[in-house]
Amino acid sequence: MIELHNVTKFYKTSKGKKYVLKNVTQTIPTDVNVGILGRNGAGKSTLLRMLGGIDFPNSGTISSDKTFSWPMGLAGGFQGSMTGRQNVKFVCRIYGKSDLEIEDAIKSVQDFSELGDYFDMPIKIYSSGMKSRLSFGLSLFFDFDYLIIDETLSVGDKNFQVKSKAALRKKIENCNVLLVSHSMPILKEICDAGIVVNNGQMTYYDDINDAINIYDDINKQK
Amino acid sequence: MTKRTSLTIFKSVILALFLREIQTRFGTKKLGYFWAIFDAMLMVLVFAGLKSAISEKSMPGVDFPVFLASGFLAFFLWKNIVSKSIGAFSSNAALFNYVQVKPIDTIITRFLIEILVTSMATVVFLAIGLYFDFDITIENFNMVILAVAWLSLFGFSIGLFTAIIGTFYETFTKIVNIIMTPLLFVSALMYTVDSLPSALREIVLYNPLVHFIEMIHGNYFSVLDTKYVDYEYMFYWTFIPLFLALYFYRKAEKKIVSSR
Repeated sequence: MIELHNVTKFYKTSKGKKYVLKNVTQTIPTDVNVGILGRNGAGKSTLLRMLGGIDFPNSGTISSDKTFSWPMGLAGGFQGSMTGRQNVKFVCRIYGKSDLEIEDAIKSVQDFSELGDYFDMPIKIYSSGMKSRLSFGLSLFFDFDYLIIDETLSVGDKNFQVKSKAALRKKIENCNVLLVSHSMPILKEICDAGIVVNNGQMTYYDDINDAINIYDDINKQK
Repeated sequence: MTKRTSLTIFKSVILALFLREIQTRFGTKKLGYFWAIFDAMLMVLVFAGLKSAISEKSMPGVDFPVFLASGFLAFFLWKNIVSKSIGAFSSNAALFNYVQVKPIDTIITRFLIEILVTSMATVVFLAIGLYFDFDITIENFNMVILAVAWLSLFGFSIGLFTAIIGTFYETFTKIVNIIMTPLLFVSALMYTVDSLPSALREIVLYNPLVHFIEMIHGNYFSVLDTKYVDYEYMFYWTFIPLFLALYFYRKAEKKIVSSR
């Protein structure tokens, strides 16, 4: 369960405050996979980061006793000067993995992400697709209550997409997912419930199809 | 996922950050080992050279290059702790993507690394001193170590304080950086406080670093003393910024990580 209580989040811009969430109180129940929909710039990624505990509202509280993955997204979240291998080691270390487990992780991430020689090159030369492959491959190695995924299931070639979707489906047998995506088929396939973020409000729907319909309506109005 | 205590998490984060920074610092082609001793070595050479060129009389009973080396190593330890702390948040921002990594961890890591680097540099300097037959005898080893440890903590306080304030007011960081350079000349590094005219002495003693350097020099060399060292003054300069910094940090930790 994730509880949002009177949550307000805004960005200061030269034209005043731009609200992502304005005084939102909402409970996200346990054991559902949630898809998050919204137009570009509506604040989906910010919401995702706040749910994952690495960004914070300007006021109000978000509380949960679950564990969350880091957000897997196109934006990266890796230290650019480190190589793929060093980043894998780093993340394993902060999760307290032993040297033996780190060896395992390196092997499995290397296999899964299909980065080849790039695995030993600095992340800053990676394409965004390569970053998210590394990030997703690494996350499979850990046990979280929630996986946080920001638009990364549609990267890579056809083969990789099939592979990562299969891996995700296997993974979510034991955990839940918070997923931002613009791809309706993926949302329908993976998520049970949906959240639509629009105009500083987020609305929770028990059925992902309802959320998708509302989102379509919003798009038609504009 | 099994729950870990916050101390366990803290330790594994510090270790991970430490290994990562060491790798970037001393990785291939970076000349990290060279830069670790460069600053202090350059200063010792320049001022020892100047001294022998312009004046005949030197401090009796003191090998001047050893005097310079002990002071400059300590000064650069302090200066590097402060300036590395200032950049710690921004250069590790990507790592705040992981809930375990707290901003203060990056500063603690850099603090530990600076101590390690200075220790290595000190060993190199001692070896050079031995080789060239300088008198490197330490009169009161424990007090010198205490002074250096205290100086490091002083650096940590100022570094953390500046890093936090600087996150919200960039000008503050710039001011601290501007102060750094002239400090080199007013911190009793190439002279003793005792050798100054009394009017100048009073002004210089307002600089807290002078007290730390005098404490080191006075305990290192048997012919020098620590009569100008004001421990109370050093205490205030260490702990007032430290507690302010920790207080602000508690308030601002989330804001440092938050997107703005």
